[in-house]
Amino acid sequence: MSFVRLVGLLRKEAVQFLRDRLVLALVLWLYTVEAVLCTYALSFEVENLPVAVVDQDRSLSSRKLIDLFTLSDAFELADHAASPREAATWLESGRVNMVMIVPGGFGRAYHTATLPAIQFLFDGTNSNTAANARLYAMELLRRFELEHPSLSAGPVPHQAEPIIRTWYNPDQTTSAFMVLSMIALAGMMVGVIHPAASIVRERERGTIEQLLVTPIRLVELFTAKTAPTLLMGTLALFPSLLIVAWFDVPLRGSFALFMVLTALFLLSAIGLGVMIAAVSQTLQQALLLAFFGLFPIMFLSGTLTPVESMPSVLQTLSLASPLRYYMDIILSVFLKGAGWAELWDEALALLAIGTGLFCLSAMVFKKRVT
Amino acid sequence: MKPARVITLIGKEGRELIRDPITLGLCAVMPLIMLFLFGYAVNLDVENVAMGVYDEDRTPASRDLTERFAATDYFDLRRTFGSLGELEKAMQQGEIRLALIVPRNFHRHLLEGAPAPTQILVDGSYPAIAALAGAYAEAIVSAFPRPRPSAIQPQVRVWYNPSMRSSHYIVPGLFAVILMAFPPLLTALAIVREKETGTISQIFASPATSAEFVAGKLVPYGVVAFFEIVMVVAIGTLWFDVPFRGSVLLFLAAAMIYVLTTVAIGLLVSAVTSTQLSAMLLALVVTLMPSFLFSGFLFPVFTMPLALQIYSQLFPATYFTEISRGIVLKGAGIDSLALPVSLLFLYTLVIFAIATRRLRQKVA
Repeated sequence: MSFVRLVGLLRKEAVQFLRDRLVLALVLWLYTVEAVLCTYALSFEVENLPVAVVDQDRSLSSRKLIDLFTLSDAFELADHAASPREAATWLESGRVNMVMIVPGGFGRAYHTATLPAIQFLFDGTNSNTAANARLYAMELLRRFELEHPSLSAGPVPHQAEPIIRTWYNPDQTTSAFMVLSMIALAGMMVGVIHPAASIVRERERGTIEQLLVTPIRLVELFTAKTAPTLLMGTLALFPSLLIVAWFDVPLRGSFALFMVLTALFLLSAIGLGVMIAAVSQTLQQALLLAFFGLFPIMFLSGTLTPVESMPSVLQTLSLASPLRYYMDIILSVFLKGAGWAELWDEALALLAIGTGLFCLSAMVFKKRVT
Repeated sequence: MKPARVITLIGKEGRELIRDPITLGLCAVMPLIMLFLFGYAVNLDVENVAMGVYDEDRTPASRDLTERFAATDYFDLRRTFGSLGELEKAMQQGEIRLALIVPRNFHRHLLEGAPAPTQILVDGSYPAIAALAGAYAEAIVSAFPRPRPSAIQPQVRVWYNPSMRSSHYIVPGLFAVILMAFPPLLTALAIVREKETGTISQIFASPATSAEFVAGKLVPYGVVAFFEIVMVVAIGTLWFDVPFRGSVLLFLAAAMIYVLTTVAIGLLVSAVTSTQLSAMLLALVVTLMPSFLFSGFLFPVFTMPLALQIYSQLFPATYFTEISRGIVLKGAGIDSLALPVSLLFLYTLVIFAIATRRLRQKVA
């Protein structure tokens, strides 16, 4: 490996790289705008769930109960329905996601302790939202009983008192998770697509053969193709760190460790990109492969839902995805303050995947060219 | 528009498609792979959450409480810990996501009728699961040793998906996402390829008008896309046991409109880009990403801030997700879906008009 040749190649890559404005703009877009949009928009919390209320009682108690629901953050009163039937049509058209029916005589029954019933209808199409909303609704009913004790209520017997504490994300907001997940996704996309496109473009134009008949060695070529993406991916972290700070996500672990592990992750993503370039003939093939290969990888690596809740076959498959390890790393470093002691196995896995992919692509390349 | 010329163009396009078995194969296989991967993998249900116990009390009562956690489907009791330090470490490494800590004297407090505090620790780094898992754990503890008396009796009924299974929610949404992933990209690449090789100017130099050119692209890719959605719907509903409650005819009619929308978006993308790389990147930003993230496929639209709710309406997948879930899960008829269907129709017309115009301007 000659230093002079490498510098020459690197300069060529840098010039080509800076000329491609569209790709630069896209990279910045992914790391900043997309991350902000998604963090603001996407949330698993139940907020402003539209609710229809059927109040057949119209007593002081029923109004208080309904107020408790409609004034909470989780629910938002869409409208009062005249009958359960009307409310049901709203549920069907998707105008509301929950119907609350307070039957006639509720107020009186509540104070005479004859166990009045409140009916809840949930739109179960989104099972996660429905489950969350149901829990909130039960919680609000309990709060109502505490705030407006039934006149005939007996003493509450003592029993186990749950004290719940959420670690690493005490407010249970989705934003910390989302912004970190989007940054990891951006790194994955850029790391794979950019080197793949830049290598295949040379192949389509035939310039790769020209490069290979010069004294340039394959190692040098790979290094030169890898360096710009690696540099860009690492530098792009800085604007995204501003966004992370904007959403009040704490950085509990070491920044240096995070940078090192990010570089390692980018290397393995680039390895995947080089691999795609090695097996495809035309730009179209490479793009289709990257497009449709990346998408499952991106969303099956714990960027939305934890890997543990997937079927075991997919869990095993995800062991090959560098993004899976990086998700663990980014969440642990930022939220849990994990250090080298907890993350060395992830780092090792990334290193193994990266080296493996590079070696494999080198073999495919050599076979192709000779 | 002359039918004979349109038919010739369709024939040319069809031959090109058939001659490219790799692309055709991708059209047939990739949607199915996506269907199965996401149908199985995107699981927002709280099931078998890895949990650990640190029991300082070691009495029948504390063991009974632990037993109640292990007996549910929500939790999977992985380990009992001998010290708080060990538990913290397991939590940090992600070995467990939830921990129950039963303090000393738990049993004695219960016997004496004093409040018996019990700690639940939740790993908040995966918010999709954390809130629900925490609430279920809370419910188990507060019902120990016997359910709390309550003055109100809630009667809860969950409609459309009474077993509350994620796959019933994910699969009908996937119909909208998968169809937004493939046809636009294929259409866009097919036209941009003609631009890159220069054959598009030959076509425009011929008597064929741009409307005829568009029709020639639309029909073959529309047919492929329609075949795709029928296949995905049939396999998706049968394999994942999703009940199809509404009218199949209504669904097919709506799917037909949606197919045209997706091809039209591909046309529009090809009209504004000139290289395959930029066409793909643009397709990624306007089709796949928003249909996955902003259409309500995973994240309900009503939780978004208002500005982003409006943003989500810019993408047709939002309408079709609603239509698809409405028909498949709720058995909704045209009366309750009239709005999204007509919006989708309008959307398609507008996109077509813009794309045809842009294509003509570019070449002329």
